[in-house]
Amino acid sequence: MAMVRRRLSPAKFILMIFFVAGAVISLFPFIWMVIGTTQNPNDVVMGKLAIGDQFMKNWEWINKTYSVLLFFWNSFKIAIVTVGLGIVINALAAFGFEKYPSKGRDRVFGILLLTLIIPQMAIVIPMFRQIASMRLLNTHTAIILPSVMSVFIIFFLRQNFKMFPTEIMEAARVDGAGETRIFFSIVVPAMKATFASASIYMFLMQWNSYLWPLMTILSDEMKTLPIAMSSIMRMYTIEYGGLMILVCISTFPILILFLAMQRQFVQGLMGSVK
Amino acid sequence: MKKSSSYHRYLNRTGWRFITPAMILYIVFMLYPIMYSLFLVTQKWRGMSREFVGLGNFVRMAQDQIFWKALSHNFIFMLIQIPLMVFLAMILAVILNQGIRRFRGLFRTVYFLPCVTSLVAYSVLFRILLQSNGLLNNLMLNLHLIDTPIGWLNNPFWAKVTIILALTWRWTGYNMVFFLVGLQNIDSEIYEAAEVDGASKIRQFFNITLPLLIPVILFSMVTSTNGTMQLFDEPNILTNEGGPANATMTVALYIYRQAFVLNSDFGYASALSYVMVLVAGVLAFIQIKVLKERK
Repeated sequence: MAMVRRRLSPAKFILMIFFVAGAVISLFPFIWMVIGTTQNPNDVVMGKLAIGDQFMKNWEWINKTYSVLLFFWNSFKIAIVTVGLGIVINALAAFGFEKYPSKGRDRVFGILLLTLIIPQMAIVIPMFRQIASMRLLNTHTAIILPSVMSVFIIFFLRQNFKMFPTEIMEAARVDGAGETRIFFSIVVPAMKATFASASIYMFLMQWNSYLWPLMTILSDEMKTLPIAMSSIMRMYTIEYGGLMILVCISTFPILILFLAMQRQFVQGLMGSVK
Repeated sequence: MKKSSSYHRYLNRTGWRFITPAMILYIVFMLYPIMYSLFLVTQKWRGMSREFVGLGNFVRMAQDQIFWKALSHNFIFMLIQIPLMVFLAMILAVILNQGIRRFRGLFRTVYFLPCVTSLVAYSVLFRILLQSNGLLNNLMLNLHLIDTPIGWLNNPFWAKVTIILALTWRWTGYNMVFFLVGLQNIDSEIYEAAEVDGASKIRQFFNITLPLLIPVILFSMVTSTNGTMQLFDEPNILTNEGGPANATMTVALYIYRQAFVLNSDFGYASALSYVMVLVAGVLAFIQIKVLKERK
């Protein structure tokens, strides 16, 4: 029969089953979190895999105790401001290091790379005292400011700037363009894909960050999505259906971003492969 | 000549100007905290007051059972979870690259999906999934795989297994993509030549694929080791604050608890974080050595 011309061999058939099982395991939590938003807490825990009718009740519960949209807005605002400031500041630095070579700046860059190995946990303890003395505790500024400068992003951008031909910059200089203008109107438009990857990476890191906001945010109305989820987990009786709404709201924007921009997304996450 | 040197100075000044904003933030939020921690580490907090203890915090650390336990857990997770995950990721990539050509792109995307979830979100999901009366236990009871529910979250042994399973779920696909990239860089002519010589698929894997993938294996191990050393979100949320009875306590979580939950002792927490820097430094040194030797 023409239709089954390419039959699977038994070995391939077994492999295929193995791969499909893996795919189900990978996907299941995503499906389950959506179903969970419509169920009562008991069904969520028991793992009843049917769509329930409790969505409105769960939505009301979670909004009575907390404000879901406020958490979403807090997370979004913090991530966007961090990316906006961070991309400009890190890109300027990466450009300065790469296209204006000097011994002094190379030495500075060496120090930056050296401190790259220091784990975040080791920095946040003294930084907490510092932020407290700056009277910034329980503000979004406290979350944004320390994550704007990223050595990793500077490194990633610098690697990519290596590919930008210096001759083009010299031609622009002959035409009388200033250095800042060269950067913003010639280099930036030419390297959109690189900037997209770096932005996605920074957005993801900030959207998902937990440890530092956990230390600095105290009041409910300042909380981000991860902090809100973890504080619900600490309650005595947990309304799992409502919690699942938060899990979905935290996961799906990133999922959509990933599916829409898969290439830049993966490139951003794997920036250090080179 | 004069013009060219002033032009050179102009470019040099521009270079400094471009890196200035980043450097200000770097000094305030990196160098200053590092300097400040040199002071913190010599202090001991008692309520709101503090006193100078010199190296006292390190002496205390040497005798702190929970700290050693936490450190050993970090190494347990590293030594068991990372090889398991890297091996799985490599096998998946090899099969996807050679064995199964159908739906390759789809499998790649689906396997990568777990790592778009936030660490908090997936920890929450796994904690619900793994309750004693939860979905996984119910499924396994119904399939008669087990007779009594497994204490995924409240048995010291199974809680460690839980962390390992959760980490593997989230990161295997991520590492698999590294291997797929590595495999695509291998020239297919090598396989064709091996095929002509009559080498079996398994021989091809051990004699061609594996040696060529060693840089990827090393890279995967390096990034995963760094991540595992800093393990915090999972033991804090998934196994509920390093529980049961500190069975999943990690160094990062212990530092956090010393500073914010137990004693508000920032001096001792700083001393503990020096250990993390030390371990991270040693690991980085080994990694650079190994990578250099490869070249």
